[in-house]
Amino acid sequence: MIEVLPQALGLILTPQGLMVLSFGTMLGIVLGALPGIGSTVAVAMILPFTLTMDQAPAILLLLAIYAGSVYGGSISAILINTPGTPQSAATCLDGFPMAQRGEAGKALGWSTIASVVGGLVSAVVLIFAAPQLAAFALNFGPIETFALILLGLTCIVSVSEGSLVKGLIAGMIGLFLSSVGGDPITGEARFTFGEFQLIAGFNLLAVVIGVFALSEVLIRATKPGDDGATLISFQGIILPKLAEWKGRLKNLAKSVLIGNGIGILPGTGAATAAFISYAEARRSAPTRANFGKGEPDGLIASESANNAVTGGALVPTMALGIPGDAITAVMLATLTLHGVTPGVRLMEDNPVLMAAIFSGFFVINLMLLPLGMMVSKVAAPLLRLREAYMLVVITLLCTLGVYFVRGNPFDLLVMALAGIIGFLLRRQGYPMAPLVIGMVLGPTLEISLRQGLIITDGSFAAFFSGHPIALLLAIAALGMLSLPFIRMWRTRAA
Amino acid sequence: MTIFKTTALAATIALGAISATAEDFPERPINLIAPFNAGGGTDLLLRGFAPHFAEAVGGDVFVSNMAGGSGTVAAGALAGQRPDGYQLGYFSITVSTIQPQIKDVPYNIDSWSPICSVAASPTLLFANADSPFNTAEDVVAAVKAEPGKYIFGSSGPGAMTHLTTVAAFAGLGILDDLKHLPFQGSGPALQAMAAGTIQFFGDTEILMTRGDFKPLMVFNDERLANYPDVPTAAEVGIEAPLNELYLWGGLFAPAGTDPAVVEKLSTSCEAAVNSDGFQEFAAQTSTVLNYRNAADFEAFYRAQYGSNAAIIEAAGL
Amino acid sequence: MLTRLFSERALIALILLLIASALTYSTFGLEFADLGGAFDPTFFPRIILIAWMALAALNLIVDLRAGTGWDGQGILRVGIMAVATVIYMIFLTTLGFFFSSVILSVLFLLLLGVRNPLPIAAVSLGVPGAIVALFNHMLTMPLPTSPMFWWI
Repeated sequence: MIEVLPQALGLILTPQGLMVLSFGTMLGIVLGALPGIGSTVAVAMILPFTLTMDQAPAILLLLAIYAGSVYGGSISAILINTPGTPQSAATCLDGFPMAQRGEAGKALGWSTIASVVGGLVSAVVLIFAAPQLAAFALNFGPIETFALILLGLTCIVSVSEGSLVKGLIAGMIGLFLSSVGGDPITGEARFTFGEFQLIAGFNLLAVVIGVFALSEVLIRATKPGDDGATLISFQGIILPKLAEWKGRLKNLAKSVLIGNGIGILPGTGAATAAFISYAEARRSAPTRANFGKGEPDGLIASESANNAVTGGALVPTMALGIPGDAITAVMLATLTLHGVTPGVRLMEDNPVLMAAIFSGFFVINLMLLPLGMMVSKVAAPLLRLREAYMLVVITLLCTLGVYFVRGNPFDLLVMALAGIIGFLLRRQGYPMAPLVIGMVLGPTLEISLRQGLIITDGSFAAFFSGHPIALLLAIAALGMLSLPFIRMWRTRAA
Repeated sequence: MTIFKTTALAATIALGAISATAEDFPERPINLIAPFNAGGGTDLLLRGFAPHFAEAVGGDVFVSNMAGGSGTVAAGALAGQRPDGYQLGYFSITVSTIQPQIKDVPYNIDSWSPICSVAASPTLLFANADSPFNTAEDVVAAVKAEPGKYIFGSSGPGAMTHLTTVAAFAGLGILDDLKHLPFQGSGPALQAMAAGTIQFFGDTEILMTRGDFKPLMVFNDERLANYPDVPTAAEVGIEAPLNELYLWGGLFAPAGTDPAVVEKLSTSCEAAVNSDGFQEFAAQTSTVLNYRNAADFEAFYRAQYGSNAAIIEAAGL
Repeated sequence: MLTRLFSERALIALILLLIASALTYSTFGLEFADLGGAFDPTFFPRIILIAWMALAALNLIVDLRAGTGWDGQGILRVGIMAVATVIYMIFLTTLGFFFSSVILSVLFLLLLGVRNPLPIAAVSLGVPGAIVALFNHMLTMPLPTSPMFWWI
């Protein structure tokens, strides 16, 4: 990889290459920042244009859109509490309270730096260690995956704002929703009650956008502001001073590591990483008492992790030809279209192209900072629109975004109902983040559990004998679960 | 500019309306529906096909995606549309002949006016390159020696990958001695192959070349040019109808489409498939093209519907 | 006493418990091939639903004791908006994105207290119009169109 770097850089550092990168990143940020439109839709929008481009620019454009939109999702999450993508859901938890306090510019500053660092580190890891990491990822069979997802589920405990019981209920609702539709093992339809459309299950994005964005519209409508009222006061990004990083660097490093690690494992993805990293920061950060009330450490944890995933997800994609998520799958298909066969020999056969892609990814992450600041500057006056207009625009954009996820009108109905139910639940203090965690992790949790049981002939005990990684993860999960109780017990004893 | 023109055009249509005949077809853009998400194999094939089809049919053609339920959501929606020839679906063997026989979907064998077939690739059964299995006999011997030890994977219940492995092992008479492990898509399954969690998988040639795999048999009527030493399923003793399996796909219109329109679409489809541009596209993506006209495709589709019932039965779906 | 018990919070808690119970009950009525264990389609959801039911019961007890009452502020307006959104989603495919969006936008703006006809017209025609022009005609990623005109 390193020996072909100069040649690869020659491919990127051309006027055309740089233009593709900056245009793609910019467009990605804008699309990601629009409420309701996430990475999947952004990539789908740009895909037709890549068909006529050359190999390297086509992939780089998709990558730029991908990385840009993951970062852009944090902008709408912070400013108007509506994540465009599930992976920004954790960003709302501390970002929006900060914005409400009038520190929107500062919140975006923290999230931007965290995103850039997360993305850059993951790009470096990608350049130097992709094959080795991909080989390590092979150790994750169904049983190890099950244990990892179990650990991920424990995040529900830490993101349950207010009431733990209500958070757990929301988590169970999410897990249940993910099980509606075709059974992943036998293919039989479950809980469809005769409705054909439900065979395909509830679409994750439709539910996420419903419970976060649409319910937010309804909540705001209960108390519409005066004529001049705007949503939030925001002038542009304010970068945190160097001194303010004191005591937060450990959190940043750990979050980047979690994002990278989870990114390389197939079947997990950015949302899982963001939540696990958030939960870990909340467990260990010195500022943990302020989490959920607008604590920069919460933003750092979720944003650096979800951007680190973008690089991590490319590891199995490029090293093994196995896509880590829906977007990397699109990239693989694009490679095929340009006459490159993805697979175990991809990096051996096309070293220069791969090096160009990886270093282009590094450049994209460098560009996030200036371009992000530019987009926010331009977006700031838009946020000064009267609230009523904003609510209409948000509703229409959410409709559009959900429709384009898979072109299914049924998803729109799901979004509307999820919005109404989300509104009713949020009014009574049920947190929505656990619901999203449940729905994100549910399918993998179920299939890995049942695959594991098929492999071990139905013995759950056999999961943890002879699977050291799984055992370790399961112990960590138990530890996370009992932590709040231990803390409670200790404060009582003291 | 374009919008201006289309507005004028639409006004003419609105006034002249309904009396349109097959000669005037198409008067507005034709929508090709990919029943999977943007960026998948089907979607890209269709996006490569669309410009050549547009040129042949003499009008605008665009691709839209409607994903969900292994393609059945799109097929179900299309089946209820007006049969005017402006909405066509690109359906594979599984969407058109397998899913309606295993799921309660709002369409069946009679819901379509088949237009043309576009592609058809035979599937192969394969194992890891460093595995001890070199022939079908090796597999039978090993499985018989230790029933319940070996596992075959699939990309999901009822998927082409599942049918291929079931056809192979049912044909060899050892299906009950193996375990089936479904995954969510081919990606995770191929990873499980590489990790050794599963020992056998079945898919098309292009998928097989992604990893270090060794083909054991091919479900074709003759041996493949790239693998002259790999026997066909019939040669290793698998009997019809389990011995031939093709991942095929073609364009379908809702049943009741005007025969003249079907004819026009079908001949345009032939011209598009044979166009230099699409041939080149197919060569780059290792797609095996296979054109059939409307009448031939309908006969083929109905025959497939029947013969696939046997595999579904064997798979216990 | 009864009004104290019967708060909005308690009602939601009760509904959640009832839904969980009904769904759990339904898993026992489903007819699937009897394969047992990991092969049973209801194996996983049943675990989840039973956990949900237990939590919901606990939650109901807590919420009955909380007695937070009712908060009726703006509820009629939100109710109309919620129903309108559902109707909008249903009619989006038959009436097309543009026309249904225009109607929804006007309704939302009126409900949210905008009275000046000029901005109402600008937002409700301009936003959906721009979206349709961009997606249907420039990007050829069509949103549903109306039965009268295929281009809008």
